[in-house]
Amino acid sequence: MNLQVVYCSHRASGLALRERLAFSKTQIPEAYAALKRAFPRAECVLLSTCNRVEVYTAQEDTAHVPGHQDLARFFSEFHQVPVHEFFDDLLERSGPDVVRHLFQVAASLDSMVLGEPQIVAQVKEAYTLAQQNSASGPLTNALFQRALGVAKRVRTETALAEGRVSIASVAVGDFGRRIFDRFDDKTVLIIGAGEMAVEAVRYLQAEGARQIWVCNRTFDRALALAQEWGGQVRPFERLDEWLAQADVIVSTTGAEPCLVPRDRFRLARQKGAYKPVFVLDLGVPRDFDPAIRDLDDNVFLYCIDDLQVICEQNRRARQREVDRALGIIDQEVDRLMGELHHQATGPIIRRLREQWRQVVDQETRRLFQRLPHLEKDRADIERSIEQMVNKLLHPPLEALRDEAREGTPHGLLDAMRRLFRLSD
Amino acid sequence: MMPHTSIICFLASYLVAFALELTRFRTTSRWGRLLSLGFAGAGLLAQTWYLLNRGHEASLPPLLASTHDWMLVVAWLVMLVYLVMAVLNSRLNLGVFVYPLVLALIAVAYKLDQAPNTELYAAQARRNWGLLHASLLVFGVVAAAAGCVSALMYLLQHRRLKTSHAERQGLQMPSLPRLASVNRWAFLLSFLLLTLGYASGLLLTFSAPSAGSTVELSEPIVILSGLVWLVLAGALGWLLVQRGPAGRQVAWLTIVGLGGLLMAIFGLQLATGHLHRGGRTATQVQAQPRGHETGPVTEVGR
Repeated sequence: MNLQVVYCSHRASGLALRERLAFSKTQIPEAYAALKRAFPRAECVLLSTCNRVEVYTAQEDTAHVPGHQDLARFFSEFHQVPVHEFFDDLLERSGPDVVRHLFQVAASLDSMVLGEPQIVAQVKEAYTLAQQNSASGPLTNALFQRALGVAKRVRTETALAEGRVSIASVAVGDFGRRIFDRFDDKTVLIIGAGEMAVEAVRYLQAEGARQIWVCNRTFDRALALAQEWGGQVRPFERLDEWLAQADVIVSTTGAEPCLVPRDRFRLARQKGAYKPVFVLDLGVPRDFDPAIRDLDDNVFLYCIDDLQVICEQNRRARQREVDRALGIIDQEVDRLMGELHHQATGPIIRRLREQWRQVVDQETRRLFQRLPHLEKDRADIERSIEQMVNKLLHPPLEALRDEAREGTPHGLLDAMRRLFRLSD
Repeated sequence: MMPHTSIICFLASYLVAFALELTRFRTTSRWGRLLSLGFAGAGLLAQTWYLLNRGHEASLPPLLASTHDWMLVVAWLVMLVYLVMAVLNSRLNLGVFVYPLVLALIAVAYKLDQAPNTELYAAQARRNWGLLHASLLVFGVVAAAAGCVSALMYLLQHRRLKTSHAERQGLQMPSLPRLASVNRWAFLLSFLLLTLGYASGLLLTFSAPSAGSTVELSEPIVILSGLVWLVLAGALGWLLVQRGPAGRQVAWLTIVGLGGLLMAIFGLQLATGHLHRGGRTATQVQAQPRGHETGPVTEVGR
């Protein structure tokens, strides 16, 4: 049995290279066709995301197994990228390390953001596409199905996926979703055009926010952003009106002096009937006076510092879970490898038992023909013979199982084929 | 004959379930949670058996069997609602709020008069009205308990959001609007049921023959609950005329109003040993000065 993965990921290679070697959804069928032509005996699974490009191969026998250079050539020919431009960034794993690597990837231990949830769906999609393109087989099926199970186990038995680690996700997930039950009927006001506002809008839209107002000192910039987000422009001069009407306010101007002092917001609140408002002040320095927080019970104000403290706590908590997750992965790797090796010994054990069963049947038939008076004790005699056979077979089969725990016992299997004349 | 369980049986089950719930603050374990639900379910079964046995012995439904049983029915209902919600939403940790309440109810019930109210509900018609009265009050109290729990959760969630603290592991709570909605509805429902329960109690008193009537309007529980009802009616009126969201005010009103009502009922029961004087034991009647007997005395004591 041969398992191998050749890959490049965010850990060892830059984004530019990964983009050149990545496979889009439309390229996948063509890529699998090329792999099958080049390696007809191998099972293959392609995993291509923004942070990694990986090719898993597996084969029962060791004839014409695709090597590191073979797969590098495949990448090069498919994407028309010279091998020397990326060969040093292409990593390889084989044997149990392949299993360990895939399990770590699926459990998001190898992700840019530890514990991020998207990778499982990406692994599942990659496996599904391999099946649809008839590229996977028994070994890769076992490998990927187990990887998805391991990812689930890590997620449920550790706190690796608990807690959010990006500012916008903490703001919307930990706070926004507890202040409001739903966002599809809420008005979101974006003041400024910072990068964090983009991420915040993305999370808010994922929660269902549809009404997005964009307010910026520069009208053209506001218009461009509004079009990008499917929102509407609001004139900056009437900011007080928008402050009164908005349910969610995301501000990223970092203007000096403070854009919205306490009194200004208090007056705006009076027009807004004191409804709950979620204010995300992502500006540095702050756009909203911190005293606004205490204006009334329904004002919820968060600045970058508040959110970064929580992000850091969550990152540390996730890090503490890494050892537990690695422990689970080690267990599962041993278990899967044991099963795969044991599967390799299955046919030999079956043939051996069949061969001995045939001999036993022949000899007992002959015995009872010669000594018919033993018919009355047939059951006892057959049972004794069965026990004898089992005791005689026990040591070689036990030795085979013990060897299988360490790896496919090719030597012992060959010896048993020759000793007992077992045909394929 | 039905085999017996004791109050300690289900009390212990709930205590273990509560302890397991508290471990959720330290670790997320599916098995811990399943074990906790298992113990809670076992406790509920034992409590059901206990109540059925008690009702069977008194030849009365558990709601009417005695003050002790009435209190245990309240605890049983709260536990049932909690279990259903815990099974439907595994991430919500209501246990930290519900278990103390249930354990307190059982502890109070343990101290209360266990003498059956056979004399109080001797007549069938009186029994039916009594069942209605007791049921309305039981459901009213359960709704009040739900209101208090949701109000407490609202205040905790509100405080966390105001002070920008992360959600605590093992204590994920619903959003403010949802908690406020549950709170408001529980308050309204509780008020309605308690009003109807109170009214049915008054009807029961007025409709009983003067000789042998064992519930008087001058009983402390009647007076106290009447006063609390007036306070709640005032609070409800204030809520209805309020403009704008008043989540925190409703939460405090619920805790003070409904919580106060619950404490009054339970406190009074602890102090006197029963809800209505009609359920007194022979010992308690004999201890009373001559000339003040009010109807037949029950032979069954605690």
